[in-house]
Amino acid sequence: MKRIGVFICHCGVNIADTVDVELLTEKLADYPGIAHIENYMFMCSDPGQNLIKDAVKTHKLDSVVVAACSPTLHESTFQNAIAEVDVNKYQLEIGNIREQCSWVHSNKEEGTRKAELIIKTAVEKAKLNQSLDPVSAPLTKRVLIIGGGIAGIQAALDIADGGYEVVLVEKKPSIGGHMIQLSETFPTLDCSQCILTPKMVQLGKHKNIKLYVNSEVEAIGGFMGNFKVTIKRQPQYVDPDKCTLCDDCTVACPVVVPSEYDEGLTYRKAIYVPFPQAIPASYTIDTENCLGFEPIACGECKKACLAEAIDYDKKEEIFIEDFGAVILATGFDLYPVENIPEYGYGKYLDVLNGLQFERILSATGPTGGKMLRPSDGKVPKEIVFIQCSGSRDPERHKPYCSKICCMYTLKHAKLYKHKVHDGQPYIFYIDIRSGGKRYEEFIQEGVSEDGIVYIRGKVAKIYKEGDKMIVHGMDTLTGHKVKIKADMVVLAQSIVPSEGSGKLFKTLKLGTDSNGFMSEAHPKLRPLESLQSGFYLAGAGQGPKDIPDAVSQASGAAAKVLALMSNDEVQHEPIIATVDENKCSGCSVCIGTCPYGARELNEDRIAAVNDILCEGCGACISACPSGASQQKNLTDDQIMKMINVIIN
Amino acid sequence: MRKFEPKIVCFLCKWCTYAGADLAGTSRLQYPPNGVVIKTLCSSRIDPEHILYAFQQGSDGVFIGGCHPGDCHYQSGNYKTKRRVLLLQNMLKQLGLDSKRLRLEWISASEGNKFAAAMKEFTETIRNLGPIPKLDKEENNQ
Amino acid sequence: MKLPYYPGCTLKANAKHFEDSAQKALEKLDYQLEEMKDWVCCGTVFSMTSDDLMLQLSSIRNLLRAEKQDLKELVTLCSMCYNTLKQSKDFVEGDLDNLEKVNNFMYMEEAEYKGQVEIYHLLTLLRDRIKFETVKAEVTNPLKGLKVGAYYGCLLVRPQKFAIDDFEAPTIMEDLVESLGAEAIDFQFKLECCGAYQTITKKNISVKRAYEILDSAQRVGCDAIITSCPLCAYNLDFLQKEIEKEYVDFQTIPIFYFTELMAVALGVGWNGEWTKKHDVDPEPILIEKNLI
Repeated sequence: MKRIGVFICHCGVNIADTVDVELLTEKLADYPGIAHIENYMFMCSDPGQNLIKDAVKTHKLDSVVVAACSPTLHESTFQNAIAEVDVNKYQLEIGNIREQCSWVHSNKEEGTRKAELIIKTAVEKAKLNQSLDPVSAPLTKRVLIIGGGIAGIQAALDIADGGYEVVLVEKKPSIGGHMIQLSETFPTLDCSQCILTPKMVQLGKHKNIKLYVNSEVEAIGGFMGNFKVTIKRQPQYVDPDKCTLCDDCTVACPVVVPSEYDEGLTYRKAIYVPFPQAIPASYTIDTENCLGFEPIACGECKKACLAEAIDYDKKEEIFIEDFGAVILATGFDLYPVENIPEYGYGKYLDVLNGLQFERILSATGPTGGKMLRPSDGKVPKEIVFIQCSGSRDPERHKPYCSKICCMYTLKHAKLYKHKVHDGQPYIFYIDIRSGGKRYEEFIQEGVSEDGIVYIRGKVAKIYKEGDKMIVHGMDTLTGHKVKIKADMVVLAQSIVPSEGSGKLFKTLKLGTDSNGFMSEAHPKLRPLESLQSGFYLAGAGQGPKDIPDAVSQASGAAAKVLALMSNDEVQHEPIIATVDENKCSGCSVCIGTCPYGARELNEDRIAAVNDILCEGCGACISACPSGASQQKNLTDDQIMKMINVIIN
Repeated sequence: MRKFEPKIVCFLCKWCTYAGADLAGTSRLQYPPNGVVIKTLCSSRIDPEHILYAFQQGSDGVFIGGCHPGDCHYQSGNYKTKRRVLLLQNMLKQLGLDSKRLRLEWISASEGNKFAAAMKEFTETIRNLGPIPKLDKEENNQ
Repeated sequence: MKLPYYPGCTLKANAKHFEDSAQKALEKLDYQLEEMKDWVCCGTVFSMTSDDLMLQLSSIRNLLRAEKQDLKELVTLCSMCYNTLKQSKDFVEGDLDNLEKVNNFMYMEEAEYKGQVEIYHLLTLLRDRIKFETVKAEVTNPLKGLKVGAYYGCLLVRPQKFAIDDFEAPTIMEDLVESLGAEAIDFQFKLECCGAYQTITKKNISVKRAYEILDSAQRVGCDAIITSCPLCAYNLDFLQKEIEKEYVDFQTIPIFYFTELMAVALGVGWNGEWTKKHDVDPEPILIEKNLI
């Protein structure tokens, strides 16, 4: 019979207050199978772990039960501890007597009785636990990055520089993300495009990076180390190898569409380069607007193209590629201000969103960097900025703080002031959140040197009177209503997960929070990974963040991936299905239930298990009519024994 | 007479409901101590035989917790569980048991309060139903 | 078709023309307002006080009596009755504790309220059941050339939960106005407070509020304003003579109940008795536009 050691933790008073640890130690000493039992104040501490290790040696234990906190906290701690004294880590069982006992009950008698049952179930399971070795699988040393904003670019460059092959998938026709639209960045006020474009060029030329633009991930199969990913690329209809970038086609194109790059403030043609610095620098036809796809074809661009680079018959392409890991850098979009009708966005030309204002500030923008308002091209003398447009409003909009708006709004006001010296910016705010290096100083300078007026309160409504935007708000510090006749209004909307990212996360089976941002494996200690192994997170798709944070997270995720890539193979949990060949009749019921294709009839008509593909869900085991399929270390026998204990 | 204390076997999947139960703990939500947990990787590991065995052995109720539809860590395990439980509940009636003794709930890792509420409610339901009738034929004849 | 109807106090006194015009207009659409029996005070806005149970009782008593009369629903014309009854209904709906508490006070009724009566404002019925297209089809005297501003005040749209339309940007009255053939003018202060009961103790507050509302409507060219609340109607109409004293450039503007314009458009005609209930004479603008 196995020699099992039981170790009960007091967790200070967290457990001992509700569970009579001493009494249990005494009572369980004679329980069949328990060779040794003791308790200790903090089992997870160094002395606590040493106590377990010493007991394993002295009492020749071959299996260990620790009754303490939830296995999510310290299962691996104790697994490592017993591994140091040569006990296989799968011989460890945790009895969760804190989260699922002492913390949820207050009667000590009841708590002790339940803890006893919990420990006994763990002992029963431990009796039949086998020593197992992790399953090893080969590792594909290629990395997929989804999203070509600054986070995706940074991660791609870091990994490619580390010597591994990277594929970057971007749904738009160029990489660059939202950062390429920005004018200057806070708090240094250096030009956003000037710092981003060199990286984009570097990425475009990198020998280890393959770029798929106009592309999206359609499906994914496999597991960490061995993903098989289906990528769909929309045709751009212009052969970049033939195209000479002469621009004759856009001149010929009769279709005019609002420009995405300029946030609808200017227009582009249906055949276009998204912006001058685009990578890849090539023309794309926007099929939704192009007349060439109508029954009566227009064909003007094709006629104009002397290089014969345009082909309307190009079809979408499907690529299936292998990867070892995936980094998600899906980024953000702005909360649609149409959802806040009282601010009149879309109704009044001079109510702008933050990105539109960035374009007006930008030297490459619709006004060539001149501060002019869209409705009549006049210089706005008074501007109202509204922070938290949609943020921190759990009843109507988004409950969270979008984190970057305090800073970029001040940047907007400052840059405006630099262009219009006699202009007056007003900023409505709820609180100023300027945690970040040199951020608070930046705010203070804005107030003292640039004369920016901060008004604490929210805006109730905006309407037009003559050529002025009348802003009605509340100054909550004085308790007075405020009415400002502004020439222009800029809204700092909430940051939301980028359009379409929700669908992607569903395809990839990635967890998100209630706002649709990707969930990290642990909010404090594993912020760069998803709970799904093999997926890593970077940038604003995980939560609103500014450029330095996005870059840091991207480099961090890249470092995680590089560490993974430095292995020769990946290991995965051995708690998987097995089959008893003597019992299996080859009925194949299990094959249909397996979502991973891990069960297959072999030449002997036995439904064999592919150890690498099996994730250990157990669906095939409970479907097996003959009991031939079992789960390692969670057999039917073990489950029945545990049930017996619970019912006595 | 001693008050009837139901015995309840809880099967919780590791990814959602077990984590939800942990969250109920970290949030210090109180619920009755009648249910004892058996952790599985996925609710689809639970064989109808386990459930029948538990009832046969004298469990007054069986509680199964899994991930919300669409959230299963193993893609579709919870749908399989749902089908199995629905069929089994029908079968329980034929065995003369109230189908309410078997409960399936979707509880995510962030729904500690839902777990605590479900435990309270289920324990109360079972308490009202009373002890499980003996399933063993011979004992019934005695 | 008959519509079970809860009038409320004002519609039997100062706003008699509101009820009268509604009845006549609805008859043109083949609907009849059928007044429920034994109704009492709706409880007015006091039931908004969050935790005083006594103030819910009057409303609940009405709902209970409606239930006893086998009425499944009640239609109101007055915004205030609508809001008050709706809030009380919500107070007990799905809250067995609250339901039990109020029922403890209903011993005189020899019945208990079960929470089965739905409350509608006439505007929502016009939109959802009768349909504005039907109204439009029945119009015989389209209000051509009349520029109407719809004033909502607070009770139709707040709190958000009881709003009869988008609570920040409602258009239900504008849609009705358009179906009557008039031009609906969106004006900025259509949701601003009219001053409400301040008019009794601090009249200057209400005068200022009313001025701002009327001024904002006139600036964008409204000829007339419609409302569905007798208190708003009072403040906007009867305070205009005070406004004239305070603001020299102010021009008066007639205030209608939406049902009065419906009556005119649906061919009921104008009733001289209604004019007496107005302070600012509503007839000149209707005559100017050849509507009566």
